[in-house]
Amino acid sequence: MLSIIKSHFHKGKTGFIVTGLFVILSVLMMIVGLSICLGIGNLYEKTRTLTNSADFAMLVDSKGVGELLKNNLTSREDIEEFGEKGCYWFNSSSEHYDDFMQFIFNGGRGNINHTNFVVNNIDNENDKFKPQIRDIVAGEGFKVYVTGDYIATTDVEIGSIAYFYYGDEKYRGYIAGIYDSMCDIYNSNVFYVDNSLYNLIAEFAKNDSDFKYDYRYDVRLKYESESECEQKILSYINEIKALVTSYEMLNPNEEVSYSLFSKVTFIDATKSFIMILGTALIAFSVLIALIAALAIAFLVRSSVMDEVRNLGVWKSLGYTTMMLRLSYLAIYGVIAGICMLVGIILGTSLMPTFVNVVTAMARLDCTKAIGFNVGSLFVAIALIALVIAAVVMLATNKIKKITPLSAMRNNFETHSFKKNLVPLEKSKVPVNGTIGIKSVVGESGRSVMVVVVVLIMSFLCAFTSVAFYNLKVDQTAIINMSAIEVPDWYINYDYEDNEPLFNAIRQMDGYQYDTMSVAGTGGYCNEKYVMGYYYEDFDKLRTKMVYEGRNPKYQNEILWRVDSAKEMGLDIGDSVTITFYNEKEVIEKQCVIVGYYQSIVNQGSFMGLFDLISFYFDEEYLSKWSRYFYFEEGKVPTAVEINRHIMTTLNIDDIKHKGFMQGIDMVKSRFLNTIETAADAVMALFISVTAIVITLLLVMLIRLKILRERRNYAICKAIGYTTPNIMTQIAVAMVILSVIGSVVGAIIGGLVTTPMLSLVGGIIGIGKFAFIIPWGYIVGIFFGIPLLTYLVSMLCAVPVRKIAPATLLRERG
Amino acid sequence: MEEQMTENLIQSNNMVLDTNTCDYVIKTDGLCKTFSTGGVQQHVLNNLDLCIVKGDFTVIMGNSGSGKSTLLYALSGMDKPSLGVIDFDGEEITKYSNDKLAKFRRANCGFIFQEVFLNDNMSVMDNVLAAGYLSGLPRKQVYQTACNYFDKVGIPQEMYKKFPSQMSGGELQRVGLVRAIINDPKVVFADEPTGALNSANSIAVLDIMNDLHKEGKSIVMVTHDMRSAIRGNRVLYLKDGVILNEISLGDYDKEQEKQRLDKLKSFLEEMGW
Repeated sequence: MLSIIKSHFHKGKTGFIVTGLFVILSVLMMIVGLSICLGIGNLYEKTRTLTNSADFAMLVDSKGVGELLKNNLTSREDIEEFGEKGCYWFNSSSEHYDDFMQFIFNGGRGNINHTNFVVNNIDNENDKFKPQIRDIVAGEGFKVYVTGDYIATTDVEIGSIAYFYYGDEKYRGYIAGIYDSMCDIYNSNVFYVDNSLYNLIAEFAKNDSDFKYDYRYDVRLKYESESECEQKILSYINEIKALVTSYEMLNPNEEVSYSLFSKVTFIDATKSFIMILGTALIAFSVLIALIAALAIAFLVRSSVMDEVRNLGVWKSLGYTTMMLRLSYLAIYGVIAGICMLVGIILGTSLMPTFVNVVTAMARLDCTKAIGFNVGSLFVAIALIALVIAAVVMLATNKIKKITPLSAMRNNFETHSFKKNLVPLEKSKVPVNGTIGIKSVVGESGRSVMVVVVVLIMSFLCAFTSVAFYNLKVDQTAIINMSAIEVPDWYINYDYEDNEPLFNAIRQMDGYQYDTMSVAGTGGYCNEKYVMGYYYEDFDKLRTKMVYEGRNPKYQNEILWRVDSAKEMGLDIGDSVTITFYNEKEVIEKQCVIVGYYQSIVNQGSFMGLFDLISFYFDEEYLSKWSRYFYFEEGKVPTAVEINRHIMTTLNIDDIKHKGFMQGIDMVKSRFLNTIETAADAVMALFISVTAIVITLLLVMLIRLKILRERRNYAICKAIGYTTPNIMTQIAVAMVILSVIGSVVGAIIGGLVTTPMLSLVGGIIGIGKFAFIIPWGYIVGIFFGIPLLTYLVSMLCAVPVRKIAPATLLRERG
Repeated sequence: MEEQMTENLIQSNNMVLDTNTCDYVIKTDGLCKTFSTGGVQQHVLNNLDLCIVKGDFTVIMGNSGSGKSTLLYALSGMDKPSLGVIDFDGEEITKYSNDKLAKFRRANCGFIFQEVFLNDNMSVMDNVLAAGYLSGLPRKQVYQTACNYFDKVGIPQEMYKKFPSQMSGGELQRVGLVRAIINDPKVVFADEPTGALNSANSIAVLDIMNDLHKEGKSIVMVTHDMRSAIRGNRVLYLKDGVILNEISLGDYDKEQEKQRLDKLKSFLEEMGW
C-alpha cells in the first residue's frame, strides 16, 4: 500500500501542492472569518476597555441638569463607571468671513476651519474617561488630538499645523495624535487639547459669551451582551431626554442645550462591514473547500485510471477494495492534515493583521480586540476532513469494478470511444483550436470541473461587482436604503431670521427648490420610545424613502420603519398613537401608517410631515430651521460661491453658520465612508482570491495534463507542431471552458445578486436591495477571467518546450 | 588485421559515393552526436559524412547501439547533432531552432515508427488530418488526399472514425504510413517500420513503401531485418557511429528477392553482422 501512496505522490506532486494550497487557504479563511464573526461581540467590549470609552455620554450646559443626571445615575446598579468633567463648547459668530474660522488645521489640499467645536483637556488627571491616545508625534506649540475618523476623512494628517485664532491673537500648535473614543469617533468637532491651550481658552472664556462651559458626563454600563447594552443605552437616552424635559418644565426661564453621544453610532457604522468581511471570508473558505474537493476528485479518479493494472495486481495479492480506497484516503488525509496545520498556524499568525485591517476601517485602534476563536478551528478541521473523506471515497468507487483479471488484461475501459467528437474534417476553426476543442469534449470530467470552478468564481466576482458598484460608484440604491435625504446643500444659519439668507441662495443660478426637515424628535408608541423624522414635502426628496406603500400626504399619515413595524406588529393601514412630550405639555397624536421605509443606519422608527409636530414649533422657529437646497445638475455651487453670493447680495461681511454641509458629505459621515472602505476591501479580497483560485487550478490541471499527455505532445512535435502550437491548443481548451464558466457565472451573479441580498437582508429588516446591475462590470468579467485563463494557461504550458520527440522515440525504441 | 580491414572499407565507402558530387536530398558533414549520462559521455555518431540521394530507398543497418536511429533522427531534424552540418535539400537545418525544425519537418519529412505513435485521443482520420492540415493546403484537398491514401493502403472508410486502440498493429502502421506521406514530404523516414508487425502485415507495409519509392519518393529506413532491408536500393552499414560501407542493390524486384537477400547477406557478413 505504501508503494501506491509513493507512486501516486510521485506522479501528482503539482496536484498535491495545489490542493494543499486550497486546503491552507480554506482553513485560513475559515479561522479568520469565523473568529471575526464570532468575536464581534467581544470586539466592542474589548475596544471599550482598550480605549477607555464610555457607553454613552451627555454634554450639557446646565449645571442643574448635570446635578439631576448625576444624582439619577449614581444610584443605579447597572452603572459600572460614571465620570464628570468640564469642557468648552465654542460657537463663533463674530468674525469676518475670511477668517471667521477659529480653529484652522493645515490639511494637504487646503485648510480646514472650525468655528463650532468642543475642547476637552487631555491633561486632566481627574478624567476617568480620558481616551486612549496613539500615533503621537512631537511638534511645536500646543497639542491637539483628533479622532481616527477625522484623519481618515479629511486632508489633515498627524503632525499638521493647527492655528487657534482668538480675535487678533493667533496661536500655533499641531495635530499631536489620535484619540480613541467609541462615543466620539464620528464627532468631527470634538477635540482634546493639552493644558497650555485648554488653560488659555479657559482665560478667554471668562470674558466671552461665545465660549460656553459645558459639563460632560460619561457613563459605562454593566451588561451581559452587546445587544442588552444597546437596549440599555437607548432606554437611558430616552430617560435623559425626559429628565431634561421635566427640568425645563420646572425651570421655564432656563434654556438647556445638550448633546447625547453613544457607542451605538460606532457599532451601527462598523458592525455591518465587519460582518460583511467576516461572512465573505467564510463564504470563500467554503467555496475553496469545494474547489479543493473537485480537484481531489479529479486527481483521485485520474490516478485510479492510471493505476488500473497495479490496483489489479494488488487485488490479486489479496488486498480488498476498502484497503485500496483507504490508501488513497490516507494520502489525502496526510496532506490535508499537514495543510490544515499550516492553515491554522497561518490563520492564528495572520489574525492580528486581518483584525488590524478591519479595525483600521473602523478608525479605532482595537487591534487586540478580536482574538483567535477556538470554535473556528474545530469548524475548519471538521469541514475539510468531511469534504476530503467524502470526496476520496466517492472518487475511488471505481476500484470496486477492477478485477485482477480485467486489470492485467488491460480491458478496463478508461476512455469512451463511442463517438469521435469534433472531427477535424468537419471543423471550420484553425487546427490548433479544433484540437483544443477536442480536448474539452474528450476530457469531460476535467472540463466540468473547470467550468464549475470558473462559474463559481465568476458568480462571486459578479456578486461583488454589483455590490461594489452600488456601494462605491453609484450610491443611489444604498442611499435610498439608508433613508437619508441627500440634498445638494444642507444649510442652517444662526440668525433671528434666516429667511433673507435663504432667499439670497434662492436667487442663485441653477437653484431649483428647497425644502425643510427636522430630525430626531421622538415620542412613545406602545410604551416604546420611537424616533421620528419630519419633512415638509416627501415628494421633493431625492431619496426614495418608501419601501412599500406610499409617501405621507396628510398630517396624520406616517411611514414606519419596516423592521421596527414587524417587531411591533404594525401593518400598513394600522392606526397608532404617538405620545410627544413638549416642554410644557404632553400631546397624543393619532397616525395612520401609509407605508414602510427601510434603513440600514437606524434612521428612526417613523417618518411624517411637519404638521405632525407643528405644536412644537412656531412659524418663526421653522424659518430658522435647516433647509435642503437643490440645484440643477452641473450648477451646484461651492461653499465659497454660496457665501460670497450671500455677502454680496445682503452686503454683509460675515455669516453665522449652524450647519453647512453638502448632502453627500452628510451621508458619508453617517455611514458611507465605512461602507466604501468595506466595499474596497471586499472587492480587493474577491478579485485576489478569484485570481489565486483560478491560477492554482490551471497550474494543477495543465501540469498534470502535460505529464499525462507527454507522449501525444511528442508525437505532435514529431509531425511538425511547434511548442507555441501546442501551448495554444492547451490554452484554447482552458479558455473555452473559462468563457463558458465566466459568462454563465457572471450572468447568474448579475441577475441573482439583488434577490439574494434581499433574501439575506430580510432577516435584518433590509428587505429590498434595488441595486443597479453594472453590465459593464459583468462584461468585464466575461473578458477578464478568460484573459487571465489564457495568460496563466500559456505560462503553465511553457514546459511543453522541454518535450523532445527524439527523447520519446529513444525511450520507446 | 580487423582494423586494417575497417580502414580499407571506409576508404572504399568514400570512393563509392562522393558526397560532393551526388544528387543529394540530404548531405552531412562531420556529423557527431554525443550523449552524456551520469557524467559519462557516449559518442554515438562520429564525424559522419553521408549523402542521401534523391529518389533513393536508402536502408541503414547496423548492430544495436550502432547509432542507426540516432542518425535517422538527426537526418530528419527530429534531434540536433552535437557537431557537424546537415544539408537538407539546400537548407542547413543544424542552425534551426526547435520550432523552426518542427515547421521544417511538417513540410519536408514523413515518419514511420516501429511503435506507430498515433494520438490515442483522436480517430485515425483525425490523426492523419492533424498532420495534413499543417501543410496549409485547402482542407477539402487534404481530406481527399487522406481518403485516397487510406484507400491505397487498404483502410476502408468505416474505419476512419475508429480510435487507435480499436485497430490492429498492421492497420495502425498503415495509418501511420498515410500520416507520414499526407503532406507529400521530400523524404520519408522509417524507423523499424515492421518491427512490431507479423509477416503478412510487414509485407503489406513494405510493398506500400516500395510503391512510394517507385513514385519517386526518397525513403530512409532503419532496420535490422534483412527481408525489410532488401526493399531498398542502397544499404548503408553503420558501426560505432560511422558508415562502415554500403552496397547498392538496385531497384526492388520481387522476382529477384532471393538474389538480393544473398547479396545483402554476404555484405553483412563482410561487415561482421
